Amino acid sequence: MKAPFSAYLDSLRDGLRELIALLRPDYDYVSVLATDSRGLSVRISQRARSVSSETMTTERGVVLRVCRDGQYSEYALNSFDPAEPEAAAEEIRAAFARQRAALEAVGAEVYKTAVLADEPLTLFAEKETEELPETTDVKALVEKLTALSDRGMTLGENMIDCMLRAESTHVCKMFLTERRDLRQSYVYSEASVVAVVNREGRTQIAYDGVSGRCGPELFARLGEKLAKTVATAEELLGAERIEPGEYEIITSPEVSGLIAHEAFGHGVEMDMFVKNRALGRDYIGRRVGSDLVTMHEGALCVEDVASYVFDDEGTLAGDVIEIENGILRTGICDALSALRLGTEPTGNGKRENFEHKVYTRMTNTIFDSGEDSLEDMIASVKHGFLLEGMESGMEDPKHWGIQCIIKAGREIRDGKFTGRLVAPIILTGYVPELLGNISMCSPDREVFGTGGCGKGYKEWVKVSDGGPYLKTKARLG
Amino acid sequence: MLDTIARLLNEAGVTAWELSEVRTQGWEFYFIRHALDQNRVKDVSHITVKVFQLIEDGKFLGSASCEIAPTADETEIRAQIADLAYRATLVKNRPYTLRAPEADEPAPEEPIDLAAIARDFLRTVRELPETAGEDINSYEIFVSAKTRRFMSSTGIDRRESYPSSMLEVVVNARREGHEIELYRNYKSGTCDVEGLRKDLLRTMQYGRDRLLAKPTPALEKADVLFTARDAVSLYDYFADRLNAAMVYRKLSDWELGKPVAETFHGDRPTVTALRELPNSSMNRRFDGEGATIRDAVLLEDGVAKNYLGARMFAAYLGLEQAFSPTNLAASGGTRSEEELRAGAYLEVVEFSDFQVDSVTGDLFGEIRLAYWHDGETVTPVTGGSLSGSMLELAGEMYFTRESAQYDNWRIPAATLLKGVTVTGAA
Repeated sequence: MKAPFSAYLDSLRDGLRELIALLRPDYDYVSVLATDSRGLSVRISQRARSVSSETMTTERGVVLRVCRDGQYSEYALNSFDPAEPEAAAEEIRAAFARQRAALEAVGAEVYKTAVLADEPLTLFAEKETEELPETTDVKALVEKLTALSDRGMTLGENMIDCMLRAESTHVCKMFLTERRDLRQSYVYSEASVVAVVNREGRTQIAYDGVSGRCGPELFARLGEKLAKTVATAEELLGAERIEPGEYEIITSPEVSGLIAHEAFGHGVEMDMFVKNRALGRDYIGRRVGSDLVTMHEGALCVEDVASYVFDDEGTLAGDVIEIENGILRTGICDALSALRLGTEPTGNGKRENFEHKVYTRMTNTIFDSGEDSLEDMIASVKHGFLLEGMESGMEDPKHWGIQCIIKAGREIRDGKFTGRLVAPIILTGYVPELLGNISMCSPDREVFGTGGCGKGYKEWVKVSDGGPYLKTKARLG
Repeated sequence: MLDTIARLLNEAGVTAWELSEVRTQGWEFYFIRHALDQNRVKDVSHITVKVFQLIEDGKFLGSASCEIAPTADETEIRAQIADLAYRATLVKNRPYTLRAPEADEPAPEEPIDLAAIARDFLRTVRELPETAGEDINSYEIFVSAKTRRFMSSTGIDRRESYPSSMLEVVVNARREGHEIELYRNYKSGTCDVEGLRKDLLRTMQYGRDRLLAKPTPALEKADVLFTARDAVSLYDYFADRLNAAMVYRKLSDWELGKPVAETFHGDRPTVTALRELPNSSMNRRFDGEGATIRDAVLLEDGVAKNYLGARMFAAYLGLEQAFSPTNLAASGGTRSEEELRAGAYLEVVEFSDFQVDSVTGDLFGEIRLAYWHDGETVTPVTGGSLSGSMLELAGEMYFTRESAQYDNWRIPAATLLKGVTVTGAA
């Protein structure tokens, strides 16, 4: 079935068009993004359960962007009355005038920016889904997750809880200008299983999940993750601490994805180029990785939680090759930053929600596959670790430092697993060295979309990332 | 709007309900260097409804929640309430009672002048003494006036207003063609002009030092001194593990009346919830479930005294007076900073992202700037990482009597952890 576009947004359409027409004489550019994203979240554990209609990306509101004399301003509200566009226009003009007075009082200059293009375009996209979060059978879902939690508890000796989370969001967005009328509707879903174990006062947690640009039908796949997650948690109870040092490493697809995201995801967000906050700006056309490194970024490069038809500035989604055989080709860019840099936007202008500003943001960030088998990669390691499971990461695009918190590492000596597990691990290093040392790359790759991404310590958006198994060298602690 | 929803909830005949609204009127300014990138206005209201249903003859209490748009009409609201009433019957939690109304002084009505607060932030950043070597790359100013109202079927109806602000600043430092950046994110009620200026000047000094830093030596194990904002994570560990939800879910095994470390060779921390801290962004009179926020001791001299947290978990643990704390203070240090600085130690002032996992106790962080004090000389160092476990390290922590405030936390000005694993960058 098609995910139906929001009737609520359709009911605002004429009023918003009228608002744009009312403001257009006062401004060089006026656009509106209106959102109505509904969701379902079910959380089940042995000790607490909840059902909510809210997810990380549910929202309903309107954000208006205007430009006058090179100055861009925005007004976010969620009480727009389509019958009273004049009142909204008056309040918006008055609010911007109050802000202008405060800015003039301190003598603030404006970073003058050209007027955004407004080429005519009409688009209406309703993406396929089997189910919708608004109408899925919540009773059956609660029962299913409860049964999974109960079964998970029987799979390990030291289990203290087995937590299940299932979330689905039906995203509807409408972008309007004088000449553009874009509407999209799609559903994405994600679910996870968390196994918590405790032995002799030590607690460990293992986590796995599924995600997709699809409806709640995705949750049928969650059971496949249960046994391995519980086994991983139990195994972590016996993990040792790693001896700090530099090692040969093989990154699992999840860890490869984390490195992709932190290394040349944030590192080539081109709003950071405008601020001179990223070394990547000076490295376009130069080598930043080995010949085996090719990396894609874009809402179109795979179908996962960050796949859409147009971004929050009305730019159509793209698929950018950021790194090709080790050479940095380009970055990703929102529309305003593209104007400032004299380049084209790539469909990566995203907001946390209608209340937030647009930044250049990642969507799906993925290393390309290679030709080396995982067995050959393991056999080639003298002493190192296969790294599995990601916790978090942090980048430093100005200095190209990277920090990745990894769940665990399996020791390899002379091409064979020793059976020793170390956890947790902090991987640190210099990005071009880390990517430059990639010497093997497997043919299979996976994409993971159960997490979120912040810019600094705020502005949370959905992203996915992934890749194949990669062999390189890194400092582990 | 809330009164209408309350009426419709009562008419729906559900077991119980909670209703809250937060209205935000905000101004935002984004700067590249000191030129305005964008200005934004926000006027939004978020209304959340939670419906409770007793099921199976009172054996379980289910709940379901949703947000109701401020533009929703009665037909839409009725449909959402009916949906919640059904969904709540699917959720089998142990029964508990919702919070009852409490007597409290009425919240003071103080006007919030967004323009004045914004001007303070603008002037503070613009008047920093920048040099050819250190300057401001970019900054974002968020100021808002918030109004909250909370209602419940048990008769609670409370409201309050407060200012809430955030400043994000990126500082650049450069030397001989090499440039680095330092990131700061400050939250507060209004603008603390002097505090911000002092911290940003210190940040510029860190920038100068990082440009001179040598690779962190492979110290293997070292005493590590925390004298900056990241130390808050060390004390969050104690507060998190005394949260009622963590205890009830068995993610924390700390028992009331017992010490939280096997043995204390160092200082014994005391952690207290506070209703107010000067200019905290979290000064609230009541929590998200309508409970009065008070001063309360969580941990005293290293011994667990109280669990605090959300009503459901607090009720399961038999805690009738619990609430979700917003401001916290850690104390109990017996030494001066000078005493803590005796001997060899690594003083870390900038991490990529310092983290303490409250469940496992693991801590880690990549070092962006530290000072290696070898007993005779002080060397700025960068790179490498720290790792360890609070399960072991909490038993030998030393911290100062003097304190420092970071938004909603007042913590010792300096904290020393003994025997932390340090992976070098050399």
